[in-house]
Amino acid sequence: MIKQTRFGEFGGVFAPETLMASLEELEQAWRHLRADAKFQARLQNLLHTYAGRPTPLTLAERLSDEHGFELWLKREDLLHTGAHKLNNALGQCLLAKEIGKTRILAETGAGQHGVATATACAKLGLECVVYMGAVDAKRQKPNVGRMELMGARVEVVEHGQRTLKDAINEAMRAWVSDPAAHYVLGSALGPHPFPSMVAEFHEVIGKEARAQILQQANGLPDVAIACVGGGSNAIGLFRGFMQDDSVEMVGVEAGGEGMEEGKHAARFSGGKPGVLHGCYTWLLQDADGQILPTHSVSAGLDYPAVGPEHAELQKRGRARYEYATDDEALHAFAQLSEKEGILPALESSHAVAWVLQNATALRGKRLIVNLSGRGDKDLATIFSLRDAEANS
Amino acid sequence: MNNRLLNAAHQLRVDNRRGLSPYITAGDGGLALTLQLLHALERAGATCCELGVPFSDPIADGPVLQLAADRALAAGTTVNGIFETVARFREEGGLLPIAMMSYWNPLGHRGWPQVCAEAKAAGVDGFIIPDLPVEEGAPIQEAAQANDLCTIFFAAPTSSDVRIQAAAKASTGFLYVVGRTGVTGAGTNFDPQAQDFLQHVRKLAGDLPIAVGFGIARPGDVAAATHHADIAIVGTALVGHIHQAFTSEEPSSEPAEAAAAAVQAAGNYVRELCTGLTFSTHTEA
Ligand SMILES: Cc1ncc(COP(=O)(O)O)c(C=O)c1O
Repeated sequence: MIKQTRFGEFGGVFAPETLMASLEELEQAWRHLRADAKFQARLQNLLHTYAGRPTPLTLAERLSDEHGFELWLKREDLLHTGAHKLNNALGQCLLAKEIGKTRILAETGAGQHGVATATACAKLGLECVVYMGAVDAKRQKPNVGRMELMGARVEVVEHGQRTLKDAINEAMRAWVSDPAAHYVLGSALGPHPFPSMVAEFHEVIGKEARAQILQQANGLPDVAIACVGGGSNAIGLFRGFMQDDSVEMVGVEAGGEGMEEGKHAARFSGGKPGVLHGCYTWLLQDADGQILPTHSVSAGLDYPAVGPEHAELQKRGRARYEYATDDEALHAFAQLSEKEGILPALESSHAVAWVLQNATALRGKRLIVNLSGRGDKDLATIFSLRDAEANS
Repeated sequence: MNNRLLNAAHQLRVDNRRGLSPYITAGDGGLALTLQLLHALERAGATCCELGVPFSDPIADGPVLQLAADRALAAGTTVNGIFETVARFREEGGLLPIAMMSYWNPLGHRGWPQVCAEAKAAGVDGFIIPDLPVEEGAPIQEAAQANDLCTIFFAAPTSSDVRIQAAAKASTGFLYVVGRTGVTGAGTNFDPQAQDFLQHVRKLAGDLPIAVGFGIARPGDVAAATHHADIAIVGTALVGHIHQAFTSEEPSSEPAEAAAAAVQAAGNYVRELCTGLTFSTHTEA
């Protein structure tokens, strides 16, 4: 039986009984391996010699000069496969292999977690099936091809809203049908132990970032900022600064087209607590407890629930959660591209957008933004928006 | 505790009989049809029934029950509407024990003390929550007990003995045994390999009756399933039958005709399945 599954009142293990044995096995394996020096050494070795860690910390000089703040970017976009997701995918796939699993299931929204999992499976010799909503498969098409090139099977999900939520539904159903497989959940959400385990695999972001900023800037940041889909890149960054009381932490959700129901994915602004996909957390739901549709220009933030550790950080007041709209994120994408020579993922653009929106209040401050991924996957979206604008 | 579901399941043991528990999705075809179906299931000889609360994200359900939930939600089904339907069924003299089968959120977001009070007032007898393992059961058990309502937990082929015993201990009325690993509707016949598992669970559950679902569609499945289980559960196959009858009427015909066809199909099908309840002490030996 599983115990201690919560962050305060949030989290838990709300899973069908069929999966409980797999979750128990996973939690036991993880408890053992996180303290196992040999496992950790193998993971470290993969992260250094294969994934490209440590990722650099870059000063965004032109934007900093323009706005009068000091903006540092943690460059997860430079990690192999182009996003932070590989930290978790490598960790979980290595763990799965360690406990004798041969078949891996995963969901993906933006396709970055799917690509990272396909990559880890190719590297470690595991079979890989990735579930992806039809809307996302279209808007993040290059990533579908990348997964297939690395030998993964991509199952396109045609049910519901056809985005990340529906991909998770289908991946969970696949896992219920094949509990001997390992399900590599791609964000810090779902039933215990996923939120804790995924966060721990991403802690390396915050640890590196803290050491780097102390060295490069001679001090801690005033504010640490990250976009929040399920919350994995944000929790990875935040955990590095959790004990530093002077460091404010801001998570940026997808404001989509505004705060009208169904037009955004800002769970803390428009939701209330409930259970989805295995955990008790903040959810976008209607008055009858049905999950609401979401919208975001970025597939990776287009999801109605937030990871439970963020729900607890928000409740404790340790972190606060704001949102940036589609338009603000697209503006930030352009700014970072034109002034820093970095094409950010649309997800990460939300974090930059919050900084630009609040530039006046942030003047004089040292900021660190987790640049969770690169924008190559989003070029089709960007170009079609540009063409639509040119034609209007 | 005086509770229709508890009493009915217990009585099966006392009488050394077996029973059938049909599942329907509330609001599939509209709640007026659901009300008629409840009466039809009772007339056809069901021991109890599972009334499914439609949810937008049913992670343990296959395509048939997913689509039934979509239709019910599109028809505007709400939890309050379901409570009203059950209350109406009781007012009309319906005695069939009813377990509400719902994912956590449509009920739980209201808070369990409130949900249990409302369910009790409506005439619901218990809850089956597919995304609720025993680890998370305490708040629901507490509120349900305070209102004389049953809580039914699951045993799956993957569950350890420790888990099965814990689920049996937390359950009132019966223990729900998942006959095979998979989502609902995955198989089209009862898996004979489940017999050893059922026998094992029956032993672990002690005095608590056990019900088995997944893959039951014919009288022969019911007979096989109830060799060791007290209750056979039929879900996907029944929902499919009802939907087919409901939609096979000419589009031009009156809605009442479609409903009548669905009610008749449900009654006939459940009666047919009940012919599989051939168990006697003789066959057990
Ligand atoms: C680049 C990038 N950033 C952020 C996210 C959002 O996920 P999380 O909140 O778990 O970091 C995604 C998800 O696909 C992503 O691809």
